[in-house]
Amino acid sequence: MPAIYKVSYVVSGEDHPGAIQNSDAAPHQGDTISLGSHDFEVIEVIDLVPPRGDFHYLHATLVRAPGKD
Amino acid sequence: MDHTEILGSVELFESVTPAELQAISLISKEVIFNNGDVITRQGEPGEYLYIVLDGFVEVLHSGTTPEQSPRTIIHLGKGQIFGEMALVDHGTRSATVRAASDQTKVLMIHCDDFEQECEENHHLGYVVMRNIAADLSFKLRHRHFADR
Repeated sequence: MPAIYKVSYVVSGEDHPGAIQNSDAAPHQGDTISLGSHDFEVIEVIDLVPPRGDFHYLHATLVRAPGKD
Repeated sequence: MDHTEILGSVELFESVTPAELQAISLISKEVIFNNGDVITRQGEPGEYLYIVLDGFVEVLHSGTTPEQSPRTIIHLGKGQIFGEMALVDHGTRSATVRAASDQTKVLMIHCDDFEQECEENHHLGYVVMRNIAADLSFKLRHRHFADR
C-alpha cells in the first residue's frame, strides 16, 4: 500500500481550530491547502512521531493564503 | 457494500489482517451527511464509532454552563475517527460533531458489534485498541500545537 500521511494542521494568526486529515502526499512549505471553504499556505512541516507501517505522522503550520477568501 | 479496501487505508485498522477487515466491513454502514447535519450530540449516549471517508466534520464543545456557547475545537477530514471515547469508556458524547461540508461520507460501526468482534478475536482487539490510543495521542499532540 502507498504511504499515507496523517497531518495535523494548525492555522497561525487567526481563530481557526485547525484540522487533522489523511493525505496521499506529504505537504511541503509553500503548498496551498484547502480546509473546508478556505485556502491556506503551508509555512512549516515537521515530523510529529516516527512512521508506523504505511502511516507517516506530520504537523503543518498554515497561514491564510494571500489573496484568497 | 464492501468497505474492506477503504478500511485498509484507515489508521485505526493499521496491522489488521484482510480477513479481519472483511469482518469489520460486514458490521459497517455508510452514511452521507450534508453541511450542518448533526452526527453526534454532546451529553447523549454514544452507540457508534465513526470514520470519515470523505469531506469534513466539525467537532464542537460546549462549556459547563448554559451561557457558554459551543466552540469549534477541530475539523476532522478523510481517514479520521470520532466517537472512539465512548467505545473505550462507555461514557456519553464528549462533544457535538456535525458535517462541515456537503456529501460528507461517514462509516458507522455500532460499538456493541465492534466490541464483540474484538472479544472474539483478541489480535483484532489489541491492534484496534493500540491504534485508538495512538489516535488519541495524535489528537493531544495536535492540541499542544494549537495552544502554542
